[in-house]
Amino acid sequence: MSAMWPAGYEPVLLARVSRPDSRSIDGYLADGGYASWKKVLAGIATGEWTPAKVTEMVKASALRGRGGAGFPCGLKWTFVPPKEKRGNKPVYLLCNADESEPGTFKDRVFIEKDPHQILEGMMLASFALGVKHAYLYIRGEMVHGAEILNAAVDEAYQKGLLGKNVLGSGIDLDITIHRGAGAYIGGEEPALTESLEEKRGHPRVKPPFPAVSGVWAAPTIVNNVETLCCVKHIVDRGADWFKGYGRNEKNTGPKLFCISGHVERPGVYEAPMGIPFMELLALAGGVKGGRKLKAVIPGGSSAPMLTAAEVANMPLDFDGVAAAKSMLGSAAIIVMDETADIPKAVTNISKFYAHESCGQCTPCREGTPWLNKMLKRLVNGQGKRQDIDLLLQISGQMGNGMTICVFADAAIAPVISGITKFRAEFEAYLAKAASPDFALSAPSDVTKKVAERMAEGIHC
Amino acid sequence: MVKVTVDGTAVEVPDNANALEACRAAGVDVPHFCYHPRFSIVGQCRMCMVEIDGAPKVQASCTVPVRGGMVIRASSEKALAARNATMEFLLINHPLDCPICDQAGECQLQDNAVAGGLPVSRTSEPRRQFPGYDRTDIGPHVIADMTRCIQCTRCIRFCNEIAGTGELTFIERGGHTMVWTHEGHQLDNEWSACAADVCPVGALTTKEFRFRKRVWWLKKTASVCPGCEIGCNISIEHREQVVHRFLPRVNLGVNDFWMCDHGRFLAESLNGRDFLKPVVPDDFLKASEPDGRGRRETNWGEALGLVHEKLTAAKPAAVLAIGSANLSTEENWLLAELFGKTVGTPNVEFDADQGPLRRIRNPKAIGADGGFLKGTVAAPNARGAEAAGVRKASGESALGRLLTGSLVPDVLYVADAAFSARTADPAFVAKLRKAKFLVVHARTRSALTDVADVVLPVSGLTGKDGSFLNVQGRVQRFDVAFVPPPIVKTDLEVLLHLGQRFGVFETRWTTADVFGKLAATVPAYGGLAWDAPAVVGLPPSVSPAASYDVLRPPRTSVDDTDKLPAAAGKA
Ligand SMILES: Cc1cc2nc3c(=O)[nH]c(=O)nc-3n(C[C@H](O)[C@H](O)[C@H](O)COP(=O)(O)O)c2cc1C
Ligand code: SF4
Ligand code: SF4
Ligand code: SF4
Ligand code: FES
Repeated sequence: MSAMWPAGYEPVLLARVSRPDSRSIDGYLADGGYASWKKVLAGIATGEWTPAKVTEMVKASALRGRGGAGFPCGLKWTFVPPKEKRGNKPVYLLCNADESEPGTFKDRVFIEKDPHQILEGMMLASFALGVKHAYLYIRGEMVHGAEILNAAVDEAYQKGLLGKNVLGSGIDLDITIHRGAGAYIGGEEPALTESLEEKRGHPRVKPPFPAVSGVWAAPTIVNNVETLCCVKHIVDRGADWFKGYGRNEKNTGPKLFCISGHVERPGVYEAPMGIPFMELLALAGGVKGGRKLKAVIPGGSSAPMLTAAEVANMPLDFDGVAAAKSMLGSAAIIVMDETADIPKAVTNISKFYAHESCGQCTPCREGTPWLNKMLKRLVNGQGKRQDIDLLLQISGQMGNGMTICVFADAAIAPVISGITKFRAEFEAYLAKAASPDFALSAPSDVTKKVAERMAEGIHC
Repeated sequence: MVKVTVDGTAVEVPDNANALEACRAAGVDVPHFCYHPRFSIVGQCRMCMVEIDGAPKVQASCTVPVRGGMVIRASSEKALAARNATMEFLLINHPLDCPICDQAGECQLQDNAVAGGLPVSRTSEPRRQFPGYDRTDIGPHVIADMTRCIQCTRCIRFCNEIAGTGELTFIERGGHTMVWTHEGHQLDNEWSACAADVCPVGALTTKEFRFRKRVWWLKKTASVCPGCEIGCNISIEHREQVVHRFLPRVNLGVNDFWMCDHGRFLAESLNGRDFLKPVVPDDFLKASEPDGRGRRETNWGEALGLVHEKLTAAKPAAVLAIGSANLSTEENWLLAELFGKTVGTPNVEFDADQGPLRRIRNPKAIGADGGFLKGTVAAPNARGAEAAGVRKASGESALGRLLTGSLVPDVLYVADAAFSARTADPAFVAKLRKAKFLVVHARTRSALTDVADVVLPVSGLTGKDGSFLNVQGRVQRFDVAFVPPPIVKTDLEVLLHLGQRFGVFETRWTTADVFGKLAATVPAYGGLAWDAPAVVGLPPSVSPAASYDVLRPPRTSVDDTDKLPAAAGKA
């Protein structure tokens, strides 16, 4: 296997994954695993370690959530209401391993190759948050991963690292692995809590935010797998060490990138936050067959696609990608070369969203299949002249507060970016269509009026 | 209370109101589907979009709690565009065949589309179908047609939060999302038809009413359910002297928005009339017919004359008058006055059936027990009959003695031939028949009318007005739905005519007059007026799905001011 990190870079998150015994607790302990958990537990009595200290470290590290939104992790933790306010309610930690964003396959590496790294991160976060029962919600389809995680949890109990009064520290902690039922939307925070409660995984109107009222109406912190792994390393080596990675104070730490599409060596790569896109592309062996780069989806299918020009000087961190009007999201980078058919790619993505919409909000439930049906028709050579604008208009009616969760915004991002940046390709399909002007009779006064009113509906 | 501004109009709303309620309070009609004042807020339909100053994006107003000084722009360009968008999305897969949909005329989707939608559709994709999930029974009363569903989840939340039975759920997801019963279950609870009431569209309809009458032909009359002592407020929906359905009529202090299936489907029982003229015994027919019970139809003069004659001839103690928990308090009161005071018999009694427990969810109602109002008497006015001076029958009372055979009345006067379900039981009827002369008021034929000497044809609930005293001690008025055929009288008129023969009543008295008289003497009615809002209740609303439109200003203020009238509270 070729190196999955830049030359001279010392991998942190992926350090153990290619070891033969990476999964077992013995291998993990032999590599110095659970040292931080033991250190923290031992330090409780002496007052050396307190929950506040761990939280402060995470805050100081400027760790941003790796699940998609890039929200500062330490800040999120402080949203849990203090004991005086929440009364007897427990606090829950919910590790988000629902990983379903198209193009994303980084959490799976931790789950299948280094599960104890996740567990240790969960233990340390639980300590910081005063959690007595933490859950890991794993995507339903990852049956194998769930088996590995369950085995890892069993091992941790056997070694006395979980359970009542862990290592005599007075801390009680249980971890439960919960399998989802196989829905992308299950990864959205309130949907995740609903699903954990064995209800349909439906996003809910916020507020209340999960940090205040989540699982069983108790304060719940949801963190991505990779975020929690970072927590482990921050407690291992300190916030300053963590901040040593990255372009600036707001984008720190080692980061995993999932590269797929038209590259020579697709896979999960580790690099410091802020690595320029072109460098990462080179690391992955460049564009497949030496062809020309055409477009890049920088953060999973929900991120607006970028043109080759837009990514030429783009650093891969939250603010760097945001500056290019897209988002780093889950750092799932989908590379498309000159042979890529953008309308077909967009159609394919739109099928995913039509399939995964939870169906409760009208604009998303109706809009996602509508976009998909129209796109399918277009690429099948049955497009009509007005379809392209209609696609934009419909997309414009779905996002920006029109729905409960941001799924709809995610669903329209590829459509809007694809059409606005590669419009000529969509129009080329029209030229192939049997009768593109089929529906275009001379506009009557009524239809003109409608068109005017519809135009007002666009706010994308 | 907080002050907010809606489209430039300042309104004061309760602290816990949401922006949608504030709009309604300000008289700005923001269309909405999933919001219902009794269900949790889910913000799913995205119809109620507005702009709120300070929020960068459009907001679903039902999901936004009001804050002091909040500025809501419900009619801004952005708000209207957002609502147009939702309406367009709702319609792209809707069948749009209102002419053959039974909800048409009381459909919120139709209303909102007509009021604010666009005249043409931009979609040219095939519309979604739900084979196997259209026009299908999902319970004893409700038929589901998922092609019409707009996924507002009101029905699901009704079953979860009001009925507490949770039969319904979403199945599938995305564009295939639909409402169905949980595997192996039916929509079968005490109030299942309310799920169809709250459905804003034609996705859930009741078997009993479906395709029976286009709703715009229906006349609505404020009435009270005859099913039990709770006395749910209802709208009797009728046309051309035929009752087609009952709908609940909102009363925050009693049935809230609900009624039970038992009461609702009594509607059909109000139809039918077997007697158009009084019936009296005929000596000639008696002699010629083998069973010796020949009768003929006659006019009121002869019938009432005969009754008057028999009553004056009888020993007062040998007269037994039976009132009814189905009759209004006014009628029971006239009966008690006439027989107790004028005829002079101590025997003015009623008997009502104990029914199965009926329950209505209304945690805020006075007398609610475990969140429910409960009724066990299977008639609406047992308390009113008693309050009017008609005594409850017992083993030792005259009716009890008649049943054991120790009393043989000279005249038995039954003011309601259906006062108990036992009047269909031949053995029971045979005991009543022991009376030497038997008079009954009746609308329909029964074992009892078959053996009566005199049958006086009366209108039933649809043809009269009056009041009932419910289980909470609340006086509730019902109105005349339609006037019965000419020669048929109301029970009240019959008693007034009879009383006039005794020189104690006047036939020109209206129900309101009688109400006034009894209010002066009956403590449970003390201080109440026939037209008092608490007695009249709210008007029948325009559509069942929108029935809470009467709740202006928003719910909480109405709830808070809803108190029982002082006198009624005593019961
Ligand atoms: C539609 C949708 C799907 C999501 N799926 C995932 C997911 O699969 N895994 C994940 O970690 N976060 C997912 N997220 C983001 C989470 O909601 C949440 O922001 C994240 O788990 C928080 O963890 P972090 O702060 O550690 O990033 C999703 C968000 C949305 C809106
Ligand atoms: S936006 Fe889509 S996925 Fe999100 S809650 Fe609404 S319907 Fe469900
Ligand atoms: S069946 Fe009616 S009430 Fe139920 S979700 Fe559909 S539209 Fe709403
Ligand atoms: S609870 Fe009683 S009054 Fe109410 S609808 Fe049912 S039977 Fe009628
Ligand atoms: S009424 Fe507000 S979103 Fe449905």
